[in-house]
Amino acid sequence: MRDSLRVWLAGFVPTALTIVVVAWPTNATAVDADVLKAENERIAVVNKVKPAVVAVCSYGGQAVGSGVVIDAEGYALTNYHVTESISPVMQAGLADGILYDAVLVGQDKVGDVALIKLLPKKAGTPFPFVPLGDSDKVRVSDWSLAMGNPFGLANDFNPTVTYGLISGVNRYQPPEGGGMLEYTDCIQIDTSINPGNSGGPLFNMKAELIGINGRGSFDKRGRVNSGVGYAISINQIKNFLGHFYSGIDTDHATLGATIETENEDGALNQMKFGTILEEADVFRRGIKPGDKIISFAGRPLTSTNQYKNILGIFPSEWRMPLSYRRDNTRKNVLVRLMGLKDAPVDAAAQPKPPQPERPDPAKERAKKSPAMKLFKEKKGFANYYFNDLRQKQLWEGFTKHGDFTGFPGNWAISGSFDANERRGPLTLIAGEAADGNPEAKLTMNVEFVYHPLDGANGPAQLQVPDNSGGLLAALYQYRRLLAMGPTSKAFELGVSHGGTEPIYPPHLDGRPVEDWSKQRVDCEVLRTKHASIECKWFFSQTDRKLLACEAYVLREEDPCELFFSDYKTVDGRQLPHRVDVRFGDKNYGRLNFASFNMKK
Amino acid sequence: MRMLTATILAMAATTASMAADPFHAVSEKVNQKLVKLFGAGGFRGVSNYGTGIVISPDGHILTSASQMLDSAEIVVHLYDGRKLKATVLVTEPELDAAILKLRVEGKKIDEPTGLELEHFSFAEELKRPRAQPGDWVLGFSNSFEIAMRDEAMTVQRGVVAAYTKMHGRRGIFDFPYTGDVYIVDAITNNPGAGGGALTDRKGNLLGVIGKEIRNTQSETWMNYAIPIGAEVDVKDGDKTVKIGLAKFVELGMQGKYKPVKRPDIVIGIGGYHGIVFVPNVLDRTPPYVDDVFPNSPAAKAGLKVDDLVSFIDGEPIYSINGFRDFMKRTKPGSKIRLEVRRGDNLQSIDIELGEYPAKPMAPKKP
Repeated sequence: MRDSLRVWLAGFVPTALTIVVVAWPTNATAVDADVLKAENERIAVVNKVKPAVVAVCSYGGQAVGSGVVIDAEGYALTNYHVTESISPVMQAGLADGILYDAVLVGQDKVGDVALIKLLPKKAGTPFPFVPLGDSDKVRVSDWSLAMGNPFGLANDFNPTVTYGLISGVNRYQPPEGGGMLEYTDCIQIDTSINPGNSGGPLFNMKAELIGINGRGSFDKRGRVNSGVGYAISINQIKNFLGHFYSGIDTDHATLGATIETENEDGALNQMKFGTILEEADVFRRGIKPGDKIISFAGRPLTSTNQYKNILGIFPSEWRMPLSYRRDNTRKNVLVRLMGLKDAPVDAAAQPKPPQPERPDPAKERAKKSPAMKLFKEKKGFANYYFNDLRQKQLWEGFTKHGDFTGFPGNWAISGSFDANERRGPLTLIAGEAADGNPEAKLTMNVEFVYHPLDGANGPAQLQVPDNSGGLLAALYQYRRLLAMGPTSKAFELGVSHGGTEPIYPPHLDGRPVEDWSKQRVDCEVLRTKHASIECKWFFSQTDRKLLACEAYVLREEDPCELFFSDYKTVDGRQLPHRVDVRFGDKNYGRLNFASFNMKK
Repeated sequence: MRMLTATILAMAATTASMAADPFHAVSEKVNQKLVKLFGAGGFRGVSNYGTGIVISPDGHILTSASQMLDSAEIVVHLYDGRKLKATVLVTEPELDAAILKLRVEGKKIDEPTGLELEHFSFAEELKRPRAQPGDWVLGFSNSFEIAMRDEAMTVQRGVVAAYTKMHGRRGIFDFPYTGDVYIVDAITNNPGAGGGALTDRKGNLLGVIGKEIRNTQSETWMNYAIPIGAEVDVKDGDKTVKIGLAKFVELGMQGKYKPVKRPDIVIGIGGYHGIVFVPNVLDRTPPYVDDVFPNSPAAKAGLKVDDLVSFIDGEPIYSINGFRDFMKRTKPGSKIRLEVRRGDNLQSIDIELGEYPAKPMAPKKP
């Protein structure tokens, strides 16, 4: 460290001297007004963003990295490799010189991002923060500012500022160790970043956050600035941000298929599908090996790097539009991304026997942190405390449209249906049978019965009606969720906030969708599990109205999708009067609800 | 520091609008005139990739004379993602330069390719004055092999720190170029950057980014580029001739450039000098003369005990090991010039190396 620092200074001093000598004859007062204006603008940008820059420290104040506050409540972004060794509680210094207690909220081990929350010294005091920019608009050779606490220099947490060019965009840097810290679609900078800058902000000259600095290419020169640094793009982070706020330990994704270059030695690249896993969504969408990929998530695909770039910016389970060509036909489908954590583990890699934990004095000390009150451990979560919090906030927002917890009895709904040329009256009864067991009955010309606890006839009997993928199971949980709320009493097998995820409602008039990207609506997600069936509930991000549901009777199959619309007020409560049902690539049909009879 | 920044800007930037929306268009333009090269290497820290500058519409490429070119075929990725092969036409280690030509299927190497590529016209670029210390420059290269196919080159911004010869450069094997270079304050010379373009703020070509060379004096890495107007004096047999990058490019593209015939350097025992140095206890024990064999070439030339050998043939020597490395490339009959420090003065001493004396027979047992 000391050596590298010396080398560094040695490199700089002669340069500075050269400039001074040459610059001396110039009279400082004769500086061009435009130049002074540019300089003042730059200083203004620095002063504007500086208060939000964080020096991330371990509990006890040892500087470990940098970060940046992104909202008034004190949520701040940093690198996972910064918080990894000091989680769950830490301290964070701001440019005002004050050291705040902080706690880990959410994290992305693969993407190397963590969200932490600073605790105000006085409850309710807002924090200074910076707005998020649009990193897709960042261009090669734009100016950028990196800020942070390199080498732990600032004892008063006043950030170091470096200024430089965007050297490249949409860069791919492979994982560093164990599949983690993969930088996809990242921003390359010649702006100097050094050890301690990790997790710190990269700004454009409009004082907007465009990335989180975290890596560099070093090779032979030691781990100090080598003119090639990388920042995680803020647009990737935006995709994961909803998950972070919900305290989730997020997962990245795969398509479940290999992508090959068709003509490696040819003049131009063409990407095609290779092997496809049977449990992958692309398999269910009918894609075959050899099909040529035209675009994925709205971006053209001509190299493996680009493929990894696109894949790397989305959380698992998200659905993305994919265009492919077979023979001379172009097809547009939605594909659901598979999680990496669920990927089959190498059988040879035996799980290690649990090591007896050695008491770590630093960890013991950290338990005294006031931030420990905001930490709750749970498998699959970085910090379940925040998941709990989001569930409550979401439910509070939803019940403003109508609170149904006063109706725990059976629900009867009647109306009509229109499914594949079949139409007629509809009745639904959901609740409990005479024997007290959960039951739902749906009559659409014929009667379908759903007994969630009766698995004797195999899961297929849970997918009623035929070809719906589990419509009745979804409707059963719909009543359960509304009547009992997202409680562990209603969903013993689990209820959690699922962060954010897009849905793609089909056209209401039934015509086929040409461009799926135009249908996209980003939603807040609630996940429930009852009797082995998982449901995801999608709420509007603006007013938390329930927009859609996915019911997974079998994890390896398509879910039944329900889209709720035509909300009308019934006895002062908002209820959907139309439900469009989809399964796989097909519209199953449409349910029209006319009257509701909910028992107390 | 504020003052300083302002002054630099005053020299370099003409308008504030340049600072606000600076180099994007320039970068795109320059990127179209550069290629990614892939060749031999990929082991023991020798990278198998590099950068090249397109210097003719027909697909001539100027790059550094690196080991990467020791391959039957060089693979080239153009800025638009096209992948072609290229042949090395000529290399000139004294200028650290090589010229490649793209091959198009069905065309012979000396036939026009019909590619009509965006390129730097070397003759035009030479008409501009060279950059001065303090001028802003941009470095473009495929350092660290970050870019493939149609991905854009790495762009860096720096200031010309000096226009000078590189002192403390590596030995003749690593870096035979002895001419002037642009020294840059940005870290431009990373793996694979060799052959990249150093341009001014408007994207005009100033020089060819060099290889990774470590300064033997400070052990720091050098960031330099060989200027397009580079000229060096080299020994061609008995006489000294001047060769330049401009002529190399002009003749090289026509297939008419004759590389300078360098004496075959054989690494061996070397010529005999007869110097005994102080005990070589450190990696960098200074080459102090401890003794001189009587009647040896060194003795005849007048080398004395306690002389410190500082230069051989103008190349700085820092250690006994460095001296011995140099001597391996000499042979009996070679003439070398030593600069030695004797007291407070530097003294030139010419030595004609001889044959090693026959070793005395091992004493016979009585």
